[in-house]
Amino acid sequence: MGIDGFETKVDYGRFMDLKEGWLDRRIFTRDDIYEQELYKIFARSWLFVAHESQLPKNGDFLTTYMGEDGVIVSRGDDGKIRVFLNSCPHRGNKVCFADGGNARRFVCNYHGWSFDGKGDLQGVHEEYCYDPGDLDKSKNGLKQVAKVSSYKGLVFATFDEEAVNLDEWFGDFRWYLDCLLDNEDGGTEFMPGCIKSEINANWKFGVENFIGDALHAGWTHDSGTRAMNDGLPFPPIDMENSYHASINGHGWEFGLEGVGDIFLLGRPKVMEYYNDIRPDMAKRLGEARSKVFGSVASASLFPNVSFLPGISTFRQWQPKGPWKFELKTWVIVNKNMPDEIKSEVTKGVMQTFGPGGAFEMDDGENWENCTTVNRGVVTRHEKLHYRCGINRRVNDHPTFPGILYQGQYNDANQRSFYERWADMMGAKRMADMPERYKSVMAGRETRDITGVKAI
Amino acid sequence: MTAQKKEMPLKPHVSMELLTTLTQVLYREARLLDQERYDEWMNLMAEDLHYHMPGIETRYRRDKYDQVADLNRMAYYDDSKGELKKRLARLETGTAWSEDPATRYVHLISNVEVELTEKDDEFRVLSNFYAYRNRNERDNDMLIGHRSDIWRSVGESFELVKRQIILKQNILLSKNLNIYL
Repeated sequence: MGIDGFETKVDYGRFMDLKEGWLDRRIFTRDDIYEQELYKIFARSWLFVAHESQLPKNGDFLTTYMGEDGVIVSRGDDGKIRVFLNSCPHRGNKVCFADGGNARRFVCNYHGWSFDGKGDLQGVHEEYCYDPGDLDKSKNGLKQVAKVSSYKGLVFATFDEEAVNLDEWFGDFRWYLDCLLDNEDGGTEFMPGCIKSEINANWKFGVENFIGDALHAGWTHDSGTRAMNDGLPFPPIDMENSYHASINGHGWEFGLEGVGDIFLLGRPKVMEYYNDIRPDMAKRLGEARSKVFGSVASASLFPNVSFLPGISTFRQWQPKGPWKFELKTWVIVNKNMPDEIKSEVTKGVMQTFGPGGAFEMDDGENWENCTTVNRGVVTRHEKLHYRCGINRRVNDHPTFPGILYQGQYNDANQRSFYERWADMMGAKRMADMPERYKSVMAGRETRDITGVKAI
Repeated sequence: MTAQKKEMPLKPHVSMELLTTLTQVLYREARLLDQERYDEWMNLMAEDLHYHMPGIETRYRRDKYDQVADLNRMAYYDDSKGELKKRLARLETGTAWSEDPATRYVHLISNVEVELTEKDDEFRVLSNFYAYRNRNERDNDMLIGHRSDIWRSVGESFELVKRQIILKQNILLSKNLNIYL
């Protein structure tokens, strides 16, 4: 159920016709729709909260947001990662103001209520003023989320008691996720730091851009591509051998050339590194995935995480009202990379997809204008075109799982994202969600599965 | 900032002439940036330039971890001269769409202090900046912070060897950094 609250009779399906390929712009601007998103999407999804490597020691914590709910992600003295609201149960004040660090307790500035690294209430200032029966400390800890779980280093949390487990939430998308998270022994880690910026655009524009919009890259980012690569243009796209794949609203668009995104990073040493490990990657994940990784590709996890495999930017689009989001970015690297390569990747990411990066600089303004033009009521009622590649569905592909479309210049993943969005916005219970794709890898470790037909 | 303490001035004062000259260098540099004269700006840069603007998280006072000194951390800029040139190359392609129409820039530079260093030909120059950026209809950013530079005397002029930029924001309250500081 998530959080019981806002409920309207709105049929969210009428804000789009995905068979025809259009969207109603009001989903980007209406206050009531945004409010419903907080209840139905953000209070019920598995939301990314941390990479395990950000909390290596007991007592380590960081603060972030799940939707607009501020939370503390904390590794308690028992080594377990918990996620609880950053809000004191007494008057609601924030109990932590730092982005991260190590703490034995979180103490509220207002009345001195003090919580340990598990979120449990330890003590209060002037405790004698509470008579017996006034304050049950065991029931006044910081509110815990319903579930916390991790997939290969990435930690997710959900407020929904009834949420399916995380493996099921990703379903066969885990097969693609392994390209990023499990392409080498040791898995991944985040480099230290997090860069945050603020963009006056609807959060969905960031997600849909990364979930499938290869098409914008060669145009929007012509200048960035040439800058990073001595004047060379965007790599050619092979429409025969490239795809959109979508599962449960998550999406990955990719080629099979294995080098396009790594080329865009503009760091030859990183290219060399991946070329060296590629034979092992092929043994580990199969030939196909060793070429999906590093190709011109981008991906998003429903609802609000995106990354570029091969470029190594990892990011979250945090909603701040319909007209604004906060972008949090990190650098994800393989733990076993030599320090020199980690440093090359970090510099490369910040020079391409940092706020001052050659690519990033041309994105924000597009999304802002896509959003703010809809202040005009006439403009707001104009439909948006999402029909690209609508007839290129591929059924029963021998290798690639998911709702698959051929040719990575396509709006397919975007359509699937909005379909999932509408399904979830309208579903009273998550169990009522229509099944849009049937899993073929359920309950299995996906790393050793080389493709759909190999099962 | 421990490195800074180690390199405290060897002499208490620099000459008025040096102070004036280096202040003028900063003002001229600011004008080049306001006018997008990036080729000339790059001519001020030493071959061994390190242009660094760390990303700084909010931490409690008791947390002594030095985020500025740790070069493994994500940084807005952590560039050599060649890397900075690459970023600037974007503006020369003619397809940097989000820079056309042009952005309106003003760099205000103040609180200039000049200190001697252990090297005879290098000077530490501290300054504050207020960089104003305005675009299209009402895009408006104000970036305020400190800079700590090392300028090297080369013949009649000076070149920038090192610049550390500390932006006084936690979340960059802007969609990007289409600006140099």
